This record gives sequence, C-alpha cells and structure tokens, in this order.
Amino acid sequence: MKGTSDLWPNEINGWKITEGPVPYDSTTAYKYMNGAAELFIAFNMRTLNVLKYEKTGQPAITLEIFRMAAPEDAYGIFSFENDDPRGSIGQGSEFGGGLLRFWKGSYFVSIYGDAPGAEVEKSTLRLGEQVASTIKERGDPPKILNLLPAGQAPFAKTQAWFLHSHILLNQRFFVAYDNILNLSGDVKAALGRYGSQKEKVQLLLIEYPSAPGADEAFGNFKKIYLSNAGVKVPVKTENNKWTAAEKRGNYLVIVFDAPDSQFAVKMIELTSARLKEGK
Amino acid sequence: MKTEKAITRRDFIKGAAGIVLTTAIGSSLPSAGEAETRSRVVVVRDANVLGPQGEINSKVLQSMLDEAVRALTNKKDAQAGWKTLIKKSDIVGIKTNAWRQLPTPPELEQAIKQRVIEVGVAESNMSIDDKGVRNNPIFQSSTAIVNTRPLRTHHWAGTGTCLKNYIMFVPTPSEYHPDGCAELGKIWTLPVVKGKNRLNILAALTPQFYGRGANFFDRRYVWQYKGIIVGTDPVAVDAVGAELLRLKRIAHFSEDMALDVAPRHIQVADQKYKLGNSDLKKIDIVKIGWKEDILL
Repeated sequence: MKGTSDLWPNEINGWKITEGPVPYDSTTAYKYMNGAAELFIAFNMRTLNVLKYEKTGQPAITLEIFRMAAPEDAYGIFSFENDDPRGSIGQGSEFGGGLLRFWKGSYFVSIYGDAPGAEVEKSTLRLGEQVASTIKERGDPPKILNLLPAGQAPFAKTQAWFLHSHILLNQRFFVAYDNILNLSGDVKAALGRYGSQKEKVQLLLIEYPSAPGADEAFGNFKKIYLSNAGVKVPVKTENNKWTAAEKRGNYLVIVFDAPDSQFAVKMIELTSARLKEGK
Repeated sequence: MKTEKAITRRDFIKGAAGIVLTTAIGSSLPSAGEAETRSRVVVVRDANVLGPQGEINSKVLQSMLDEAVRALTNKKDAQAGWKTLIKKSDIVGIKTNAWRQLPTPPELEQAIKQRVIEVGVAESNMSIDDKGVRNNPIFQSSTAIVNTRPLRTHHWAGTGTCLKNYIMFVPTPSEYHPDGCAELGKIWTLPVVKGKNRLNILAALTPQFYGRGANFFDRRYVWQYKGIIVGTDPVAVDAVGAELLRLKRIAHFSEDMALDVAPRHIQVADQKYKLGNSDLKKIDIVKIGWKEDILL
C-alpha cells in the first residue's frame, strides 16, 4: 500500500515515507491515540491513516488523515478546537506550534513535525497543500449552525459548536452525566454561546432524524431536567437563571442560563423563526 | 458512565452531589476536604537533569527520586524510605504512561524499578505497564502499585495527573470522560487497585501547561521545569501538579487561560471518594533542589 495512495506523496522537500500508512478505524483508533480517539469517533470517524516522513538531520513529520462520515463531521472536528491563526489550506485550516490542521470534504488532516525549525515547518505546510490538492471532494459546514440566532446585545452570539455527542456537549456545557437528550451519530446539534465571559447564555439546537425522536428526547429532558414543567414555560434553576425548551417538528430548542424568563422565551422564539425561515 | 440517578447540572448547582461546580482547583478551592490529616508532597528539581537537547541524565534523575523518597518518608536515606513503602514480599506494578508525545521517561521507570529491586522484590514479581494492565498477571495479582506519569494538561480531564493514570484499569475508559473525568476517583475503589497505591510520582521534567484538542501535543506550551512531584497522597500530588500548571499559565499568558475542561476530578476524589487532600492549605509542599522559577 506504501506510496500507492493518491492522497499522500511519497516524498516532500526531501522527507520520505519511512513508516506507514498505518490504517486504523473507529474500533482500533484507541491503539494509536488512547482516549483522544473518542473525540474523533464522536464525529463519526471512519478511517485514519498515519504516515511518518523522515529526512536526515531534520525532525520527522507525522501525517494523520482522518476520513469522517460527512463533510460536516470533518468541519466539526476541525472547528471544535480552533485556537490558532487561520490558514488557507483546504476548506479551513490553522497552523501553530508546528501543527497544521485542516479540513476539506469529508477529510480532517493534521500534520506536525517532531521538533521546531523553519525547514520542517515549511515542509509541513507544503505537505498539507499537497494532500489538500489531492482531495477533490468539497463539502459544506453543518447547516444547523446557521439556524442559531445572532442573539441580542449584551447577549450576542460569541461562539458556536457542532456536535453529535453528549460527552462533547458536556465538555462545552455540562448538562447531565447521562445522555438524557439521546445525542448520537445521526443526531445533529449546535451549541451557541451568547454574552460575555462573565454572564453567558447557552442555546442548544438539536435536529433528530424524526419527530418521534425529538419527542422522546424532549420528554426525557422535561422529566429529568425541568421537573415536568410545561412546554416553553421557563424554569428558574438553582443559580437564579432561567431554562426553557421547546420542540418544533424534529428539532428541540433549549435555552440555558438566561438572565430572566422573558429573555429565555425570546431566544426560543428567535430560534423558532429561523427554523421556519430555514425550511 | 451509568449512574444510579441522572445527575444533571441542576444537581451540581444545588450541591446535591456534594460537589460544587468550579472552574479551578488548588488555592481557589473551598476547604471542604474530608481528610483530617495533612498531606506531604515533595517537589525535587535539578537543573542538570536535562541536557542541552533535552536528553535525560539518568543518574541525576535517580538521585532526585532518592531525595524525594527520603524527604517524603523522613528516613535517613532512600533505601530506608523505600522499605516503608514496599515490602520484599510485594508483587509490584509500576503503572506508567505511554502517551507517545509525552510518555513517562523510561529513565524514571528504571529508577523506580531499581529501588524496588533493592528492597528485595524479585524481578519476576514486578512489571512496568500502561495499556496492558488489565491483562497483565503481575498487575492483576499485585499487592502494591507505584503510579507514575508525566504532568500535562488533558483534553478530557483538564489535567493528566496521577488519578487519571489508573483509567487503564477499567474496560471502557471513555465512560469516565464526562464532566472533566469527575468520577475518576471511583476507579481507585475497584478491587484491582484499592489499597495498593504506595507512591505517586509526577514527572515534571517537561510538563505541558496548556493545549487544545484531544490528540494535539503542543510544544509551545511545554517547558523545562526539571522536576518531579512525589507523594503517597495521589490527590495532593495532583493538586500540586495542577497548581503548578495553573501558575505557569498565568506566568505565560498573564492570566489563567481556560482549559478544555476544569480538572474537577481532583476535588471530587477528595470530597466524594476520600482519597486525599485537594486543598493546598492542607498540603505541606517540601521543595528540594533548584529553586529558579519554581513557581510553587
């Protein structure tokens, strides 16, 4: 298999493949990256190929090519952890600390050198450009992100994430240990964060494959989190903030930590209006 | 992880789980630790433990470990100290960490092994392992565990420290990932490890104090601290390690940059599982050796 793939070159600026491609899938990725695999599996990882490039007197370069189930998953894994200056490789990229990350189509790619250096960093970027150019497929970011409203000052939208997994949801905003909203690989969710560092409102929009699926999750949420409060009736939680939820077709909208009940209702209404427009 | 009752954010806010939501540990923690006794944690540093290219000087590292055990046990030398921790009849598992980007240094593993052998433990009665511990007969029949790993930030747990290092003893580690791996302390109550922990050693030679993402080692946030952090109380060792990373973030960024998640598991291990002290006010930090930029 070595050197026969269209996705990676045999050589880049004098660095040549010395290991790999070592293939993994969602059941074996743990062997390569321990618990980190869970993040990729939560974004519907299908395959991973790892290659090592070496050049005498230079740090090695590791290339990791993840093929996800869909472009929105590749975007999801890329955007979940953005932290560095953006680049122009693939459909979205960032480069910092010698690590290049980018997504294009259903692929998420990371490339890094074992040690710093101008030459290895230049080759890391060159390798990224080359891999990106061989990926012909393109795709769109998750449409559900566009359904989040912009918010209202001082609670304008500041961040948003696409996710499928309650573990990833909990990492950005802890809701419950158990998967009470029935998130899974075929359920799409967008978490929007609104407001300042000091006071934040969270809006969670979830798209289920079917309306009964949304019904079931809504029932769970009302029973477990809202103590059986009624539809769209905001509930004052123990931190003196407000939570409201509403189901619209196969969508569930939940607002957490609104400053007052009116704001919670307003956010639900804004989201419902966007859902209507989006259909 | 499946819990008896669906624990939600509201339970935490109410304090029903006995733990409050917090975004930091260490000096900012409320002093709610249940352990009545104080804990001792020894920090040993030596400027010569790393060479110009970052290579580890084994002899220096061995002497750092010796000094730590001597100070921790209050014995006249390390050999006497090790004998208070390990019996020659013990079956000893040295739980290491093999994360490829920043593993437990093999030199540290060997330094531990050497001293365990000198206590009188037969080499056939000890093993060094990480991912294979559940299938390792030595670990499965062990009577003593020495727990060692590098100090770093961690995507799921906030900090990768000693409490986290036992996660390979459970069949599905990912079940412990929710909420900053809050329930890691539960693993320490399982029969395969319960009561066996004798020593915890955080390798802080080149800790990673910040990072993003699950799989992304980031050398911008790794620095040569040239230390080890050692104690018999794993919670206290972790609290000191997490505090060191927090102080380094403040020194580097001029603020405590938020991690992917807060390392709540340290506090939960104290308050819920009674595994030790997470409150720095209850920890005596003994500092030995090189003091430059020690932070703590």
